[in-house]
Amino acid sequence: MNSGLNISDPAVVAAFKAALVHQGLIALLIFALVGLAWITLRAWLPAAAAGAGAAPEATAAATAEPAWRRLLRIGFGLLWVFDGILQAQPKMAIGLPSQVIEPLAAASPSWVQRLVNVGGTTWSYHPMQAGAAAVWIQVGIGIWLLAAARGPLSRLAGLASVGWGLVVWVFGEAFGGIFAPGLTWLFGAPGAVLLYCVAGALIALPERAWHTRRLGRLTTAGIGVFLIGMAVLQAWPGRGFWQGIAHGQPGTLAGMTGTMAQIPQPGFLSAWINAFTTFDEAHGFAVNLVVVAALAVTGAVFLSGRPRLIQPVLAGFTVLCLADWVLIEDLGFLGGLGTDPNSMIPFVLLAAAGYLALARMPAEAAEPAAAAAPGPGWRDRARLARDRVRPHALRRSVATASIGSVASAGAIGLIVLGAAPMAVAQASPVADTILAESINGASAPVNFPAPAFTLTDQDGRAVTLASLRGKVVLLTFLDDTCSTDCPLIAQEFRQAGQLLSADTARVELVAINYNPLNTQVSYIQAFDRQEGLAGVPNWLYLTGSPAQLQQAWRRYGVPPAEILPAGSMVGHGDYAFVIDQAGHMRQELGFDTGPGTQATRSSFAAELTDAAQQLLGRS
Amino acid sequence: MSRPARAAAALALTAAALVAGCGSAAPAARGPAAWAPPGWAPFLATSLVTRAGTWAVAVMGGSVAAHDNFWQLFVRPTGSEQWKLVTPPGTADNGGLVLADGGAQSLITGLRPSQGLTFTPLTLTRDAGRAWSSAGPLDAALANVPDALAAAPGSGTLLALTADGTAELAAPGYTRWSTLTSQRTLAATPAGRRCGLHTLTAAAFTAVGVPLLAGTCSHPGTAGIFAARNGTWQAAGPRLPAALAGQAITVLRLTRAANRTVALLKAGSGPADSLLAAWSADGGSHWALSPPLKLAGATLTSTACGPTGAAAIVLNGNKAQTIAGAGSAWQSLPALPAGTATLAPEPAGGIDALAVHRTTLTVWQLAAGSTTWHTTQAISVPIQFGSSS
Repeated sequence: MNSGLNISDPAVVAAFKAALVHQGLIALLIFALVGLAWITLRAWLPAAAAGAGAAPEATAAATAEPAWRRLLRIGFGLLWVFDGILQAQPKMAIGLPSQVIEPLAAASPSWVQRLVNVGGTTWSYHPMQAGAAAVWIQVGIGIWLLAAARGPLSRLAGLASVGWGLVVWVFGEAFGGIFAPGLTWLFGAPGAVLLYCVAGALIALPERAWHTRRLGRLTTAGIGVFLIGMAVLQAWPGRGFWQGIAHGQPGTLAGMTGTMAQIPQPGFLSAWINAFTTFDEAHGFAVNLVVVAALAVTGAVFLSGRPRLIQPVLAGFTVLCLADWVLIEDLGFLGGLGTDPNSMIPFVLLAAAGYLALARMPAEAAEPAAAAAPGPGWRDRARLARDRVRPHALRRSVATASIGSVASAGAIGLIVLGAAPMAVAQASPVADTILAESINGASAPVNFPAPAFTLTDQDGRAVTLASLRGKVVLLTFLDDTCSTDCPLIAQEFRQAGQLLSADTARVELVAINYNPLNTQVSYIQAFDRQEGLAGVPNWLYLTGSPAQLQQAWRRYGVPPAEILPAGSMVGHGDYAFVIDQAGHMRQELGFDTGPGTQATRSSFAAELTDAAQQLLGRS
Repeated sequence: MSRPARAAAALALTAAALVAGCGSAAPAARGPAAWAPPGWAPFLATSLVTRAGTWAVAVMGGSVAAHDNFWQLFVRPTGSEQWKLVTPPGTADNGGLVLADGGAQSLITGLRPSQGLTFTPLTLTRDAGRAWSSAGPLDAALANVPDALAAAPGSGTLLALTADGTAELAAPGYTRWSTLTSQRTLAATPAGRRCGLHTLTAAAFTAVGVPLLAGTCSHPGTAGIFAARNGTWQAAGPRLPAALAGQAITVLRLTRAANRTVALLKAGSGPADSLLAAWSADGGSHWALSPPLKLAGATLTSTACGPTGAAAIVLNGNKAQTIAGAGSAWQSLPALPAGTATLAPEPAGGIDALAVHRTTLTVWQLAAGSTTWHTTQAISVPIQFGSSS
């Protein structure tokens, strides 16, 4: 799933930072343009702006946003912004698949891993675009939630939160680990981002649902049912939570926190977690009893739907969540490559919002009059919709828009700013060349006559470099019994041939044997069959006598193959050359295959394809 | 609590119970790739006696990473007391080395593919490993058994058993291979059906060049050895004693020594399994059987065939047994030196134990009639760690 590169790879880190700075400038420009358009239109249409200014205030006063919704909107808006900022960590571009997604999915069933692998592979193919997209989409959703207090824009922000949250929950959190063994509320089940989705869904509810106690009852009941379920899970025997130490090993919770304490983080935090681990090892049964009881009692009280009971329990539950957040969840983002503050803060927000929705509503809240009255027919609605999109109406809408709506528009622009490059990158079947360049560096262009050779191809025919004149030659050196890099390079060349599609007839993919012992054509043919190159029309794998091969290596400046003792394969380097149609050397590529992942292979193929297409005048 | 709330709570309890049930089993830990052979197959570590000398194969490196363990070939040339490292160069041999006596002074090796390689390079020496020439390759992975490769006496035709259960034949040069048969085809013949053949485990030639294949029979009491005579496959295994009639029989080794066909058979499985050696001087028409050797749950880690049909086996716990040939009995050897990878019976009746510790091979010798192992030699093997990763 991951590209296999070092997460601190300087080339990628620098490119990621540069991409974020560039896109940040564009983001500022978006906000500036939207603001400018708003101010300008307000100046052009002062009467409309002034006239419209009073009415919404009056309406807003009549149907003010309920406290529970404001709490959710602002709380989760801030969380999304914070998560977006965490996504901007320099190591995130390469590190997210290997340091976050893979470990989370590792314990899940294979079908979860396969599904998650899709997301991880997508990310690893385009780490720049994916990393930046995550930043801007999350910051955008956050700002959108914060800015849009009411109306369709606000509800859409909730829906955006649900949509992106589900993407993150499935592909980034492997369903919050709910299909993995060891599931526990203490460590964040059912996944922090699922709580973002729940909050987003509540925010997206129609306005008439905001002012009823039914919503509060449903929310607290849902939380109650979930917590009781988690209490049962926590109490379930045989899962290791009741033991501080079992068979000389830390119990499940102590084992988890002990591992957590090893992750690089501020010293005070690891000291606290270690202290808790020691405490749990000594009093595992008591700790689990407290947790089970707290979850069960809180769940039962929330399920009862009685605000007077819920209020003190909510206070206690908040304390429990904060303790868990610090001592068990490691604040969620300080240990390792954190992507969010984990589940406890969202949980407290959700529980508090449920309580507010229950307690701050009048018992017999009247349905808004507008909701009770019969609505317009579909013909009227269609006419109204048409009227709204007329240029005059649009100008008027912008002029009368609130500052929140303008900020929302800017936030939507941010989301598009992040998502669009990622969508464009997805259209490419290969990984970005940044991966290949980070492994071997960018190549410097050269221009001199490529050295001549006369060798024998896989069909026994003599081939010279001159016979390839008129074609772009992508040349490499492959050991026919190499078990590591050469098969990878062969696949990179094969993929480059496929990517060239219509241009492939104008490009020759050539390899020269890099093994001085297995020089027979039969070996060349076996290698071709192994790599699926036997039927590729523009593939030439050349061999010759040891003397001929050594001459070719010398002329191209590649070190002679080294015959190593004791069962090792032949020692050699990895090289690729780009020769133009006139037989001139144009690029000398370092071609160490790096980790040899699907992503890096694909990246090298893209690099070769780009080089060939430049010479063909395609780019 | 209202009725819907109670129902919801019950639902939550049930769901939690289900989740707990599903989630309580910890996933089995996956260790590093081990070199343990399949349950029925002896380790590739073995020795072989040819006219050129005694050859021995052992894996060295001692790393948990498979790509840092390399198979080494040693030879003690005829007339010499010293072993030499003669591993064929040019191909990573992390997947294993398989030997075939090429007749005269020659030895053919098959280098089992590993990592990105899928075909089997072959090498040949005619001077006791001083120089190697490339041959083949076999365009498939050789089976992971010590008798996956056999050369016909005289013609030099090579018989290779591949990992997918196909037997391939090639004339010297070994570039053009033709399929002799496959496990599936052989299992469908009358002889194969009587055996209930389900796996091929060894290939050999008789002294007159008849191809032999051996495997595991699902029908109890049947030894699955087959000879290709007159265009058909015929049962050529020994008739086993009545005491073994209910036992599943696996042919562990099938090779040729001193113009005899030698087989090692395992009867049964688990703690009650036993081992038999069998010798045939007429290509499988008649066999002489050794008494059964009770393995008592011990794991076989190496087998070796010596000159004149002797056999030696290494069991876990530094135990070993030998048998001199037809008509003789199994004999326990003194506790083996630690790390013994394989044994090499000598023509004079002594036996060498080749012990491995990471990159050092120590040769221990047990003279005929002696009860003590003596160190005779230590060879430091210059393994290039990381060269195949």
